[in-house]
Amino acid sequence: MLFNKKGQIRMIEAFLAVLVILSASVFSITLSPTASSDDEKLLATLGMQVLMELDNNGTLGKFIDERNWTAVRESLEILLPVGVSYNVTVYDDAMSQINDSTVSNGLKGQKIFSVEYLCASQSSEVHFYLVRLQLALVR
Amino acid sequence: MGRRNCSGQALLVGVLLIALILLSVELYVYEVGKAIGEANPNSLSEFIFAVRLGSRHVVVGSLANISQGGANQNLETNLERWSSFVGRQYQLGKYILSFTARETPPYSSGIWISWGTNGSGVSGAYANFTLKLSDRGIEVNQTYAINVTTTLLIQGSYRVIGGSNKQVNVTSNLLNEGTPALAKNLTLYYNNSSVWLVPDSQNNYTFVDYGNGTYFMSFVADIPSENVEVSVHVSDQRGINVQANVTCTET
Repeated sequence: MLFNKKGQIRMIEAFLAVLVILSASVFSITLSPTASSDDEKLLATLGMQVLMELDNNGTLGKFIDERNWTAVRESLEILLPVGVSYNVTVYDDAMSQINDSTVSNGLKGQKIFSVEYLCASQSSEVHFYLVRLQLALVR
Repeated sequence: MGRRNCSGQALLVGVLLIALILLSVELYVYEVGKAIGEANPNSLSEFIFAVRLGSRHVVVGSLANISQGGANQNLETNLERWSSFVGRQYQLGKYILSFTARETPPYSSGIWISWGTNGSGVSGAYANFTLKLSDRGIEVNQTYAINVTTTLLIQGSYRVIGGSNKQVNVTSNLLNEGTPALAKNLTLYYNNSSVWLVPDSQNNYTFVDYGNGTYFMSFVADIPSENVEVSVHVSDQRGINVQANVTCTET
């Protein structure tokens, strides 16, 4: 009888331990990724929309064809809201980086997210580019 | 005593196993949830929109090239390159972009170039696309067509102002996909004894840009023939060339 009670106490202890572990894991899983996921979605949507806006009439491809990085930088600074820092890297279809100067406003932020945009230039040569836009919220 | 201790340990191990199973299920549910979150419809629709936009740029660029003297096959070559490029870059799932260049007359290999003598000129390209995308839990099967057409319409008239001197008036309208569009370059020619000449200030050449795709040109020239032929060569803002010829009517 006495041994049985000890066994029950051990069982309760074990259950309590499991409950504590489960609660902690569920809590950490549920809470922490959601917050960063929201930021990521916001910045990913913003990044894609900005690049699509710039590419809508072929302007982005034209700037890249001309290697006019100043124009890319100026356009992004007009289109992106205040409080968002960015960095752009442009690759050709062989995945070689082609921007030889920095296209950025000084990327800084606790979390940096990237969007990749496939761009085709409207020029008669028709070049393809991969534009990687890194974004961060400056808090 | 030894038996009792073993029994307690077995219970503990059992409980831990149950906890492990619960944790595994929890982690699985979390992973599945995360996968759906990453492939959210917003980012997917934006990606598809970007590919469609890129496809359009490829068709425009190819037509510009062909209208400047490139081979008709350049459209298909460029679209194949684009399709391959897109497929290589999409790494989250399976992505297939296929296309068919229109072969229905007046198109051939997706291209329609008709620079006529009846006052109308057309440079056009048409391709159908099928986009198949399978990502985790998401299947997309979309078809779309891209039609790029630059049309030039011209009208010409002349009046005799003495001898064989004639004042010629030409009005041209430029359209992109049926909508008025601005020209990047426009050059007017007139036929004088089988030689095509460009009127200049010596011909009292005047040029009016109405800003809505309509251009008016007027000049005076000594043209012995009663058939006053003019030709207008235009490059639109996208770099697509088109030209049209017309025989002016006497007023």
